[in-house]
Amino acid sequence: MQIDPYYVIVTAAMLASIYGLLAIGISIIWSSLGLINMAHGLIFALAGYGAWAAAQYLSAYGPVVLVAGIIAGALVGMLIGVLAFLPLYDKPNYVLRSLIATLAISLLGQQFMLTAFGPRSRPLPPVFGRASFHFGTAVVSAGQLGAIVTSWLVLALIAAWARHSRRGLEIRAMMRNPEGAALVGIGLRSTAMAVMAVTGGLAGLAAVLLSQTYFVSPFSGLTPLLKGMIVALAGGLGSIPGAIIAAVLVGLIEALTAVSIGGQFVLITQFLFIIIVLLIRPRGIAGIIETVRE
Amino acid sequence: MEAFRVSGASPAVGDGAIATNISAAADLTAADTRGAWARPRLRVRYPFTRRTPLLIRVAYDPRSLATRRTIVDKRPLYWVAGLILLAIVPLLGSNALLSSSTVFAMYAAINIVWILVVGTAGIWSLATLAIVGVGAYGSAYLSITYGLPWWGMIAIGPVFGLICGIIIAIPAIRLEGWYYALLTVGLAELCRVYAVQSQALGSSEGGLYGAATFIPNGVSQRTGLVISFFAAFVLMLAALALYRVVNGQRLGRLLRAAPEKQEAFAEALGVNYRAARIRVFLISSAALGLIGGFYATYFTGASPSLFSMDNMMLLLAMITIGGIGTTGGAVVGTLIVVLLDQVFVELGPLRLIIVAAIMLASVLFTRGGLFGVATQFSTWRSRRKSERRAQRSERGGEVMPDEATEIRDKQTIYVRRFDETVRKHLRPLVTDEVIAEHKRNPSGPHSDTLERLLNYFRRAAITDKYGILAVKSFAEYRVIALSGRRGVPPRVVDDKVYATPDEAQHAVFLRRVQDLMQS
Repeated sequence: MQIDPYYVIVTAAMLASIYGLLAIGISIIWSSLGLINMAHGLIFALAGYGAWAAAQYLSAYGPVVLVAGIIAGALVGMLIGVLAFLPLYDKPNYVLRSLIATLAISLLGQQFMLTAFGPRSRPLPPVFGRASFHFGTAVVSAGQLGAIVTSWLVLALIAAWARHSRRGLEIRAMMRNPEGAALVGIGLRSTAMAVMAVTGGLAGLAAVLLSQTYFVSPFSGLTPLLKGMIVALAGGLGSIPGAIIAAVLVGLIEALTAVSIGGQFVLITQFLFIIIVLLIRPRGIAGIIETVRE
Repeated sequence: MEAFRVSGASPAVGDGAIATNISAAADLTAADTRGAWARPRLRVRYPFTRRTPLLIRVAYDPRSLATRRTIVDKRPLYWVAGLILLAIVPLLGSNALLSSSTVFAMYAAINIVWILVVGTAGIWSLATLAIVGVGAYGSAYLSITYGLPWWGMIAIGPVFGLICGIIIAIPAIRLEGWYYALLTVGLAELCRVYAVQSQALGSSEGGLYGAATFIPNGVSQRTGLVISFFAAFVLMLAALALYRVVNGQRLGRLLRAAPEKQEAFAEALGVNYRAARIRVFLISSAALGLIGGFYATYFTGASPSLFSMDNMMLLLAMITIGGIGTTGGAVVGTLIVVLLDQVFVELGPLRLIIVAAIMLASVLFTRGGLFGVATQFSTWRSRRKSERRAQRSERGGEVMPDEATEIRDKQTIYVRRFDETVRKHLRPLVTDEVIAEHKRNPSGPHSDTLERLLNYFRRAAITDKYGILAVKSFAEYRVIALSGRRGVPPRVVDDKVYATPDEAQHAVFLRRVQDLMQS
């Protein structure tokens, strides 16, 4: 079978950028809040609905849809922070209880979406137009190109913000050592809400970008959650460079699997990849790069 | 009977023999159980152990010197009562109730075994249902292809479970906590995708059906349902017994000696906790495989929904609502969720919302699920009690009952109570006339009311008692307070200077009256 390398590269880059957005969110939440956010898929799905509602009732103009998705994601992220982090973070057995709380929230949210919007999936309007470009032998749609460019642009912006702003410094301090951050006067609650808003916004962006090729539906968050988890885990929970490397690898594996043996085996090869990575490096790829939170 | 009561009330010690004689003569159904206690009893023990079913503490009542027997741990009684109730109630209900009770018993068995993995072994495996599914698929496949009878399916289930357990246990050696939990989610997803894709496992019919069933041919539907309910009930009892044996015996003790973050200490003591963990995991995997075999014979097949994440979430909801780590919590949580899911079918999708809401509430408000509520409440109550006690002892006055238990010298309690009563009677005596009378004539003679007040003031403890200091005789007097300790000089109360002793005396009187009114 002839594998078109350009097609694989484009698909892999597109998937890597979207998984990277999700995995970095999961990773940052884990390292700064100590929370395994199983409701990240819910943020994804609800942000998709937010973007859909904006396109339906406000304007189908691309940037409006994109911004609506990001805002909806940030709001849902903050809601999860209010429900699962604020009441629990100083209570005994926090990690397990918050994990179960996020699972319950995601179950609640799924059923809510099912009753509010129905099981039918909804399409989003094309944000980046319908043009297509030729890249080698492959045809790149504007949606794919836009997804790749936008996500890397936003990631770069976030990285700059985290490096140069006061809030970013607080978040980085909290990622390094939450107790120490609290001791030097960083408000855990406000910083946590900022983290949830930023990561929720990232998930919302990923939702709009991925919905250029897929649809928005109540259960559309499950697969992105699983893949985001795979990437975050393989990269090493709590490490951003690890997550980016793992996102590229997982995207590449998904594209290669889909081209060579078929789309239905994607999850199997991805899990095999993560099993092998974790057996060799139990703390993920980032074990090489930096220490991760205990 | 009358004589018996009298002897029971008399504070005689060691009247066991008398009591026995009387009770032999008297009616044994009498309400007074003291005679029955005094008789020599046969102590029931579990075979080959020194354990008794009930832990009974025997103590003498210090007042009547009668023996008091109290059951220290009433949980076995609750268990027996609850299980009897669970066995009887479904028989009285409809066919739908009977079949959902069967599902309940099966899920309860799965959860109890899962508690063994999560609680005892401390391995966060979310592949529990996947192991059950592998057992169910394997035995159903063998039954359909090679005609395996139902008992063969239940017998072969543990083999599949064990094989699956060995495969899942390999990463558990290297991975910890959440990494492992998420890995097992992945493994379950792998199994689901395989079961959905594979032709041999019935991908076209949405499951593998047509396996042997343990319900004999030709029985009525009701009889079949009753048989399967009791089979599932026995399965649940077997799971409870397995939990008891593994958690209560050597393996469980080894693992309790090596809790989280203290593994190194346990290892230094020679506890091979890793081997114990793996062993518990393998034992429970085999048990889960057996439940899988049972599942396949009950449903005469298996479906890919066994591997789905939604079902796993429902299972997680069951053990978190009840409280992770206790069998009682697992059973009660399963009962609540299955009741909502199977019995209130007409509620539709609202059921899952209710389940999720209960799950969220139990996680937000309780530390250890519904079964931890009692301990959490008693902790909270004792904290509040001690807070209140701390406030009370600062205020002085009469001693409250729960403070009294902590005062060694009981005399002080009565002194303080008497003092409080006296002050209560003296306070109404303080009037403007009395104060005016004292101002007029501080050194007497006094009226009866004033004399009573002054007598009380004179009797006050020497610590902080007021006195008059003559700075300059017949010219300058000040009010002081005695230290009450030898060698420590009195302190000056304020900077007011009085010209005559009478004025100073009246100032002291006013201070004392003020103290009395404020106390």
